[in-house]
Amino acid sequence: MNPSSALTACPGCDLLLHKIKPPAGKKVYCPCCNTPLYQQKTDSITKVLAITISGLLVFTPAVFMPLMTLEAIGMTQSGSIFDAFLSFYHQKYYFAAVMVFLTSIFFPLFKLSLLFSVALQLKLRLYTSSLPYLLRTVHHLDEWSMPEIYLIAIFITIIKISSLASIDYDTGFFCFLFLVLTIIASTSALDTRTFWREIEAMKPSLREDSPHD
Amino acid sequence: MRCHDCGKLVAANKAPEGSILFCPRCNNQIHYRFTNSIARTWALIITAAILIVPANLLPIMRVDFLGSQEYSTIMDGILYFFHSEEYGIGLIIFIASILVPLFKIIGMLLILLSIQFKWKTWLRHKAAMFRFIQFIGRWSMLDIFVIAVMSALVDFGSFTSTHTAHAATFFTAVVVCSMFAAMTFDPRLLWDS
Repeated sequence: MNPSSALTACPGCDLLLHKIKPPAGKKVYCPCCNTPLYQQKTDSITKVLAITISGLLVFTPAVFMPLMTLEAIGMTQSGSIFDAFLSFYHQKYYFAAVMVFLTSIFFPLFKLSLLFSVALQLKLRLYTSSLPYLLRTVHHLDEWSMPEIYLIAIFITIIKISSLASIDYDTGFFCFLFLVLTIIASTSALDTRTFWREIEAMKPSLREDSPHD
Repeated sequence: MRCHDCGKLVAANKAPEGSILFCPRCNNQIHYRFTNSIARTWALIITAAILIVPANLLPIMRVDFLGSQEYSTIMDGILYFFHSEEYGIGLIIFIASILVPLFKIIGMLLILLSIQFKWKTWLRHKAAMFRFIQFIGRWSMLDIFVIAVMSALVDFGSFTSTHTAHAATFFTAVVVCSMFAAMTFDPRLLWDS
C-alpha cells in the first residue's frame, strides 16, 4: 500500500493514524498525545489569496505612516512602526533593533508575500520548482512574525501615556490594525494539508505516483 | 517517517542505512527525529537561563523628566502599573515578561530532565505543556515592543523622553534563545522511551 495516501503520523508523538476527513470546522486530535492534527477548511486557496492581497495593499501605510500624534505642553510628537525600530537603532541597541525590525516589519511582509505567491500559483495552476520551498519557508517563519503582539504593545503604550499627553490617532494606526487582522486571518484560512496536496498534484514527477494524498 | 515540514509520510525502507532521504514533495531532508535535538535544546535553555538574570536585574528603560534621569527595570514598570491601579495591564506585562520566560525555562528543563532520566509519568501533560510553551513563546516580546513604541513616541525634548537601557538586549536574547529551544526540541522524543 502507498504509505502517503491513507496514513498519517502525529507530529507530536509519531503515532501512525488513518487519515480521516472531519466535517468542515471540526478539528481532529491525536488519541495518544492530544496534539491537534487537522482542521478542514473551505476555499482555503481563494481566501488566502484575497486576504494576502488586502494585507499587502495596506502594508506600506501601516508601517510608514504615523500611528498617532501626542500633544503635551504645546508640543506635538508623532511616530510610526518604522520610527520605533529607528529609535532602537539610533540608541545603538542593535540586537534589539534588528529583532524588532524582523518580527514587526520584515517577517510579516515576507509571510504575506510568500503566501500570496503560493496561493496565486496554486490558483493559476502554475507549477514552478520553487513552490515547495516557498511554502516551507512560510512554516518556518510563522512563529517569528509577531504583529499581533506589537498591536497589544501599542495599546499598552496608549494607556501608559494617556495621562501624560493627549492622543490623536492617525492613518498608520488604523492601517496597522487592519494589517494585523489580515495576517491573523491569513493564518487561520491557511489549510496546510490542502496546500501541500495541491502542490503534490501539480508536481510533474509525482503525478502518477500518488495523485490523491 | 513523517516529513518535518510538509507532513508527508515517506516509507523508511526506501533508503539504505546511513543515507540521507529527501522528501519527494518538498525536498526537505527527512529524519526520524530532529538532529541533536536534546543537545541543542539543552544548550539554548541554559543560555536563556543565564541571560534571564541580567535581563531582570539591569534597567530596561530610562525616562528623562525635566532634566532628571530615572532608570527602571522590568519589575519597576510592572509596579508602576499596580501603584497607579491599572491592575489588568500590570498583570498582562507581569505574565508576558516575567512569568512566561520563567515558565518556559522551567518547563523545558522538566521535559529535558524527564527524557534524560526516562521518567515515564505525566507524558500527556508534558506534551500539552510543550505545546503551551510553543504557543506562548512569542508573547514575551511584548515588553520590548512597548519600549520601542514608547521611545519613538514619547520624546518631548527636555520636558520628558523615554530611552532604552541595557536589559533590552539581554531580554531579547532570552526570548530568541527560548524560542529556538522550543523549535529545536522534538516532542516525539518524549514518547520514544
